[in-house]
Amino acid sequence: MKYMLIHAVDESRLADLPPQAETELSAWVDEMVDRGIELDGARLHPTSDATTVRGPAGKVQVTDGPFAETKEQIAGYDVIDCPDLDTAIAVASAHPTLHVGAIEVRAFDEGMTVPEVPESPAEGKRRYLMLVCADMRRAMAGSAAADQASPDLWDPPDPEPVEQPDELDDVDRWIADAGSRRVYGWALDFPNRAVTVRRVDDRVVTTDGPFAETKEQVAGFDLLECSDLDDAIVVAAGHPVAGSGLLELRPLWS
Amino acid sequence: MPSSHDAVALRFREDWGRLVAGLIGWCGDWDLAEECAAEAFAAAVPAWEDSGVPDAPLAWLTTVARNRARDRLRRRTTETAKVALATADTTEVAAFDDDDIPDERLRLMFTCCHPALAMPARVALTLRTLGGLTPAEIGRAYLVTEPTMEKRLVRARAKIKNAGIPYRVPPPELWAERVEGVLAVLYLMFNEGYAASSGDALVRVDVSAEAIRLTRSLVELLPGEPEVRGLLALMLLTDARRPARVRDGHVVPLAEQDRSRWDLDQMTEGARLLDAEQPWGPYAVQARIALCHDVARRPEDTDWAAIAELYTLLPATPVIELNRAVAVSMAHGPTAALPLVEALEEDLADYYLYAATLADLYARLDRTADAAAALSTAIEQAPTGAERRLLLERREALLSGS
Repeated sequence: MKYMLIHAVDESRLADLPPQAETELSAWVDEMVDRGIELDGARLHPTSDATTVRGPAGKVQVTDGPFAETKEQIAGYDVIDCPDLDTAIAVASAHPTLHVGAIEVRAFDEGMTVPEVPESPAEGKRRYLMLVCADMRRAMAGSAAADQASPDLWDPPDPEPVEQPDELDDVDRWIADAGSRRVYGWALDFPNRAVTVRRVDDRVVTTDGPFAETKEQVAGFDLLECSDLDDAIVVAAGHPVAGSGLLELRPLWS
Repeated sequence: MPSSHDAVALRFREDWGRLVAGLIGWCGDWDLAEECAAEAFAAAVPAWEDSGVPDAPLAWLTTVARNRARDRLRRRTTETAKVALATADTTEVAAFDDDDIPDERLRLMFTCCHPALAMPARVALTLRTLGGLTPAEIGRAYLVTEPTMEKRLVRARAKIKNAGIPYRVPPPELWAERVEGVLAVLYLMFNEGYAASSGDALVRVDVSAEAIRLTRSLVELLPGEPEVRGLLALMLLTDARRPARVRDGHVVPLAEQDRSRWDLDQMTEGARLLDAEQPWGPYAVQARIALCHDVARRPEDTDWAAIAELYTLLPATPVIELNRAVAVSMAHGPTAALPLVEALEEDLADYYLYAATLADLYARLDRTADAAAALSTAIEQAPTGAERRLLLERREALLSGS
């Protein structure tokens, strides 16, 4: 199973990272790469360097800052491959991010292949993490109802299909348009099936659900490699989710 | 003969933006460009004292600033500095005439006004980088401390660098939207400066004048864009009334202003900028509305029917509709306007000018009690002391029957 580790940190607490954190981080990365767990990962520039894109093509709205103003903000990510959720939680629990923040563990939808991502971007290119964000409460309510043993005791699930029939085609078209500007990416499982790991009084505590309750939630991501922010904005604005949700562009720390 | 100090001050006003724009294009480092531009101006004072103002002052300043920048880049050992040095070293200043130096202010303007920057950051960056105002001066204009403003500028420059906001004139597919974005920043700057000139603060840098100056240079840089001329016209035709707009710290309503104090030169310049041929963009339409007021020698000479007509050419937002209703009331009477205003209640219930307009119509229809009630609402909602005072006076006058 592939999981995304979403590192969520209160940016004002980054200075509290103990001096050994850097060493711990390289040890963690080395170990997880050796074990074949870590497939890709990066640190992100702070949210003051984030840009949010919304609106259907032709009516693109670009704003400064992240998609949601939360106390903890996404500071980095890892894509890992583990046999099960317990292993993923154990992997997250060993990460030095827990000194100052939380890690949300979320499974990817089936079928993702992660390419070999070169250490640095191509000449003259920059990398951006594009977070695909959408309000998934209706879809989640529908899926929760469907999970129930006696669904008729509950409100019937939303009769409309959660995914528009042509949505996949739209995504395929977007991927084709993005071309080499998209490295890879995939959709994530619902946020209500996420697990968040944090350290409280030297004990690792796991809670269910995402690291923050916001209207929009991360629904997937794509790693982009573009010549500049305008180039990345064009790619983001063409994404099928732009019409109803939003895309947050975060430059990768190089 | 002017001292070299005056000569440098003059060049600073004229050339700061162009010098910084050229330096950023040359080395790609905003901080370095600004530091070295400032040093070049500082070096000019004694140098020009000794040997006079050079024939090509901008070329002189560019050469000095580039030399300083090169020295600093050599002292740095980082990879980015080496890259900057490699790029920067390839082009030399070989100009004997300032006209030979490419004008890169347009790139700078589009980058400072990039939509991925927060609006206050865009305004601050434009005033600093293009206008040459210091963080302390910009801070005074926006009532924030110098360190706060400095921090805002540092953060904006960091975002440009880290997020990879390109330093360029946008390509055709982004052109219309980005030009609109630049104009929005300049107009906001102008309006804030204009409003502040009557606010409670006394010591304010004249941001409106700076906005006019920057828009003037944009007209030179983008001669083919009618809306840029429209915006400059709007600013000039509005600013022309400034000498009569405030009296003893109070805002004077348009109808009561001493029109002999309006600035005729600004009005003439503004009127000349307007194209006769339609279609007119929103700024040009607003400029024409301002012109209708400016050319009326007495308030009763105002062509309100023309103004009401012009408002229909603007996007119909609730505030525009309210202004149109006011024009209709002046052209065709309060009875014609009342339903237009009342229809806006849902959208504008919290907007003090909605209640104030309603009060005015009621008063003209002799519905004194309704008028007084609406005025009380407006007084509660008024954003500044000056506007509140004006409304209080109106209520007093209404209730005393004058």
